[in-house]
Order: sequence, then structure tokens, then C-alpha cells
Amino acid sequence: MNKIRSFSLTPYLFLMPALIIIIVFLLYPIGAVVYYSFTDYSITTPPVWVGIENYQKLLNDPIFWKALQNSFVYLLVTPALIFISILMAIVVNRKLPGITLFRTLFFIPVISGSIAVGIAWRMMLDTNGIINSILMTIGMIKDPIQWLAEPAYTLGIAMLLTTWMGMGYYMMIFLAGLQNIPEELYEAAELDGCNAWQKHWVVSIPGLRPQITFVTVISSLAALQVFNEIYILTGGLGGILNSGVTVVFYLWRQAFRLNHAGMASAIAMVLLVITLLFSIINIRAMESGTEADA
Amino acid sequence: MKNKLFQVLFVMLVTASLLLAACAPAAPVTPAATPQTIVQTVEVTKEVVQTQVVQVTPTPGQDPEAMIAGVEPNAEITLWTFWLSPTFDAYIKDTIASFQKAYPGVTVKWEDHQATFQDDLKNAYAAGNAPDVINLSISEGWVGDYATQGLLLPLDDQVPAAVKSTYFPNLWDQQVVQGKHYQFPWYQGIQVDLVNRQLFDQTGLKVADFPKTIDGLPALCKTIKEKTKTLCDIRLAVNDLLAQMAYEGGVKTISADGKAFTFDSKEAVDWLQMYVNMVKDGTVDKTVLVTDQDRVGLDLFTSGKAAFYNTGPNLIREVRANNPGMYGYLAVVPAPIGKSGVVGKGLMALSVNSKTKFPKASVALAQYFSNARNMLAFAKLVSVYPSTPLSYDDPFFAAAPVAIEDSAKPYAKDSVSKLADILPTIPHKADVNNIVLQAVQSALFNNVDPQKALSDAVAQANKLLP
Repeated sequence: MNKIRSFSLTPYLFLMPALIIIIVFLLYPIGAVVYYSFTDYSITTPPVWVGIENYQKLLNDPIFWKALQNSFVYLLVTPALIFISILMAIVVNRKLPGITLFRTLFFIPVISGSIAVGIAWRMMLDTNGIINSILMTIGMIKDPIQWLAEPAYTLGIAMLLTTWMGMGYYMMIFLAGLQNIPEELYEAAELDGCNAWQKHWVVSIPGLRPQITFVTVISSLAALQVFNEIYILTGGLGGILNSGVTVVFYLWRQAFRLNHAGMASAIAMVLLVITLLFSIINIRAMESGTEADA
Repeated sequence: MKNKLFQVLFVMLVTASLLLAACAPAAPVTPAATPQTIVQTVEVTKEVVQTQVVQVTPTPGQDPEAMIAGVEPNAEITLWTFWLSPTFDAYIKDTIASFQKAYPGVTVKWEDHQATFQDDLKNAYAAGNAPDVINLSISEGWVGDYATQGLLLPLDDQVPAAVKSTYFPNLWDQQVVQGKHYQFPWYQGIQVDLVNRQLFDQTGLKVADFPKTIDGLPALCKTIKEKTKTLCDIRLAVNDLLAQMAYEGGVKTISADGKAFTFDSKEAVDWLQMYVNMVKDGTVDKTVLVTDQDRVGLDLFTSGKAAFYNTGPNLIREVRANNPGMYGYLAVVPAPIGKSGVVGKGLMALSVNSKTKFPKASVALAQYFSNARNMLAFAKLVSVYPSTPLSYDDPFFAAAPVAIEDSAKPYAKDSVSKLADILPTIPHKADVNNIVLQAVQSALFNNVDPQKALSDAVAQANKLLP
């Protein structure tokens, strides 16, 4: 019996299309960004090697630290999204007439597109917009508030927008999870004397654990990479006094407003490390959860 | 019988056509490089025929508008315009078609880019496929930005003196980098203020009382807030505050030897203090004040919630399209002038990519689009203004304005002739402007003393100088 396997090109040929796509669209760009992060590069002119200068500048750049802080604050969107989406999933997981309509309505923001939604929100929050109009009508405020020009509100409004846009999508994930939980578990909880909320606390939430872990991973990564909401709401400025500048927005500003693609690449590298760490922590958490369940 | 009659008519028609073609004069050969006056006849209506005199300088070629000699045969060039499609598709396509007739063998591919123009252009340069002819904004300082990076073709040796002299000298001399010119001045705008009379009349003021100088704005905004409960729709040029300081405040931004920034002078502090006071008084919309998108301010005005907005008459069409009810209440006044006494910079330019394979054809196209006749044709479509004095000799500019969009026509030539770029070449301009923006914001919104904010900014900006 001949144990030496003969070399066959066929499997490599099958792998080739995927491999080419990965090299061209993933490995090469990552390699290029790593290289550019050590250069003075303005997109339109050739890069010049500057060593770790971009990273040193970043460490001493207060706006970058502000952007990093804002990005971490933005992560608060994740628990808010999970909480609201589970509540909504529980509400629409009932066999009531017309419930499909509600599910559809809740899902509309997801398919609306962040640019269109951002513009609509900007109009609502305008000095003469509907929000001020309502608040003045009911006597809550005397003079209109310039919501998007108040540094204290910028990030919060963007986070609200992200939450509003995302909750329909995550609701569908939790709804699918809820529908997989056996009805017998709720019956058993009822026999044990649980009321409606207690049933959800002891049955639904543990039953949704895989979905909660999944949503935590993807929504936190999305929160770290937020850009559209900030760009639209702040008219491209990033908020007064950089109040809404996040890491990705700052990356864009460096690359496309200030022409510092080298610096932008260094920011991208920092973001890459942060998202990588997040992914590892989340995946570990997911694995430990699965082991505990087993 | 009918067939026979038809055949006879057909033969007669063909014979007549052949005779006419044979008797027609040969295409005239124009003398080279000698200025001459030609007479063009334009049929304005079925009954009225008007004559206009256009000064052109023919060079070798069949078409008197073919002013650039030695155009590469069979050149294929690309033109990028900024936010002109679809409204002006017909004009651009017609002009390209007539250019291709004037320069036979040259093919032009046209693309219009809009909100992502700058990003697209930078990416195209990085990828090595940037367009040959590029529509760049003078007002945003793009020509200077790209020229300092060596991305644009110097035109000094490419363009005959007779062609250079067809433009207003101050427009030709804009954004000169190290003594070299990089742009053909294209269509210009006249800065005006659009006034919403529905709101403005509530203040008790007359449109004629609109401030003639920038320092009259704070008092006006106070009155508007008191009488109409609306805020002033004023926008800072957040991407080029150095220019705004120079025009409005008469600020000298950099020393004559270029070794130190000087935008913390008394003039600069006074300029910033004016805006700080308006923010403190709560008379300006802060969102608009610091947005980098003109459309945000224009949208606020168009929605009828602002008494006035500084823009070009060409954008009145946006008001008409989006709020026809307000169009009837519009008034147009000349924009207030700053302490520099200069009304403003030019608007649009056409430049040539320094790496083009067809420099002559590209220069020819840029020149063709910006010649007196083609700019006049453009001005007849929308309220933009030619950068060639000759275009204003057309009766179109002498006619009394009918629509509100035409209000600036009577003084357009004078106004355009005074446009000038008074800002010297600033090293690391984008970075310095960003430093100024942070300083201005800290003074406007964080109670930092304007003098301290600007002095700190100067110290920071000076570190960028060699």
C-alpha cells in the first residue's frame, strides 16, 4: 500500500477563487494600511516612510483621545439595544390579530438607510423642528433648543438614532430565539407560581442567551465603527467642540479632510486592535457560556 | 402616375442638392495667431434678429474657436464636472459636441461628480486614473491645494497670451502657486443675500436697509430675533476660515516672509469677537454656523425659517423648486462687504491634470468651455456669470432683469471684475485651517477668550512652518 499521497492541483484550483478574493480584498488592504501607518501619505502623493511618527502624534493628540472616549461611550448602545429589542420581541411574540403589521413597522427603520433616517432626524431636531414645537406646545420649554448644536447632546442623539435604527433588526433575532423556546418550560414555570414577568426572567432570558451573545458581539463592533449617524447629524463637522467625533469619524477627517492618509491608517490600526480584542473577549464569553450550558 | 411624379420630384431634389453643394464656398482658412473680429448672427426669436460682436484669436484650424495649436491627434480625454448633472446635461453635451467639431479627432468623456467629488478625485489620483480636465472650486481653494501637490499642469507655457487676455486679469491670477497659473476661470457667482420678505418685513426694516458691510449683521440679527423669533442663517467657512478672516476681517494671516502666522492680530480678534457676541446673544443658528455643508443653511432658508441667506443667485432655482410658495417673496441684495473691501473669490475653474497624456487637447477643452461664447451660453441658462469681459457685451446682460434670478445682471460685470483671491499661499493650509477651526469653536462655544484662542492657534500653527 503506497502511503505517499501524490500531489494534486485540483483542490488548490477549487480554493483559488476564494483565495484570490481574500488576498485582494482583505490581506492586501490590511498589509497596505499597516505600511501606510508608518508613512507620511496624502493619497494623492506617494508615501514617505516616517517610522512610528504617526503613532507618536496620535498619543499626543487630544482629539484622538476624545474620539476614543466617545467610541467607548457609544458602546452603551449595545445594552440599550438588547434590552429594548428583547422587550419588543416579547411584545410581538403573541398571537394577536394584526401583530405582523407591528413586526413590519418595527422593522422599517432597519431598511430605511442611515442617511435618509439621519436627515429626517436632523429635520425633527432642527431649531424650528417638530421636537421643539411639541415641547413648546406642552410648555416643557420656553425657547427652542438647538439640539444638534449643544455639545452635551450630540453623542446622545446619535446613540438614540443608532438604537432606533437597530432595534427592529435585533428584535427579529430575539423573536426567532423566543419561538424556539419550548412552551412546556413556560407551563412548568407557571405551575411553580411564576407571574408573566417572572416567566420571562427565568425562561425567556436564559433561553435567549445565544442570541444575546451574538447581538452583543455584532452591535458592539458596529458601535465602535459608527460614522454615518455622526456625519449626517453634525453636518460633517463631528459636533461642536468635537463632541460627536468617534474613532472612525476622526479617521475619515484625517484621510479626506486633512489629507493625512498615513495618520488615518495609524488610527485604523488602533481600531483594528481594539475590535480584535473585543471580538476575542466576546468569543471567549460565548464559548464559556456554551460550556456552562453543556 | 403618382409614382412617376414622385420620381421626377426626387430627381429634381437630388440635382438641386448637388448643385448647391458644388457651388458652396470652401471652408475658410483663418490666418494664424492674428486677433480678428468676427460677426455672429443669432436668431433670438422668429421676428427679431440680433447681432453680437465677439473678439476671438484664431490659430491654425478650421474653427475660429479652436484657439490651442498642436492638439494631439486622436486624443481621448476625460472631463469631470462638479454638481452639474442632470440639470445642465444638454449644455455640457452640446459644448462637448461642438468642441469635438472644432478639434476633429479629439474625443471627450464626461463624468459629473457631486457630494463625493473630492474623495473621488483623490482616489482617482491615487489609482493613477484621474481625469484630464477637472472642474475645481476656487472658492473652496481646491486649485491651490492640488497645485501645491504638483497634481495640476502649469498653464503659463501652454496658453497663448492672446487667450490669457480674454479673462478678467484678477480671475486669471487667482490661486497662483509659486508664480505659476493652474486654472482657466470658469463660471462665476456673485455673492448675494436672498431675503425672505415675509419674515424680513416683520422687522420693520426695508430690504434696501440691508447692511452693506459685515459689521452691520449683528444688529440686524438682534432685530430679526426680537421681531420674528427666528435666528440668523449665517455660515462660517469652516474649511477655510483663514480666507473668511481675510475677506471679512481684513486680517493678514501670514507674515510677508511666510515665516510666522499673524492671525491673532487685533483685526482677527475683532472679527472673532463679532461672532462670539452673536452666539452669546443667541441670534444665530449654531448648527448652520459651523456646518461644512452649504446645503444645510440653504435648506433652512428654503424652508422659510430664516430671514436671509448668503449664497449665489444660481441657487435661487433650489428655492423655486423646493418651496415655490416662498419664491414670490424673495428679494436679492448685494452681499455685505468685509473690511478687506474685496467682495470675494471666484467660483469655479477648469484645470488640467499634470499627468495627462494629452496636455494640448486637455488645455484646449478647458479653454473651450471657458471661452466667451460658451460661458455666455451657460449664463443664459442659469444665473452664473462669465469670467470673460467680452461676454458681457451681449444684449442679454443689458436687458432689464425680469426674474428674481436675474437681479444681479446689471452689476454683474462690475462685480465679477472685482473678485479676487487675496489669500497668499499658506503652507499646510488644511492643517492650519483645522487649527483655526478648533480655536474659533473654543471661543464661540467654550468661553475661551478670542485673543487667547487665536494666539494659541498661531503658536500651534507656527510649529508646522519649516
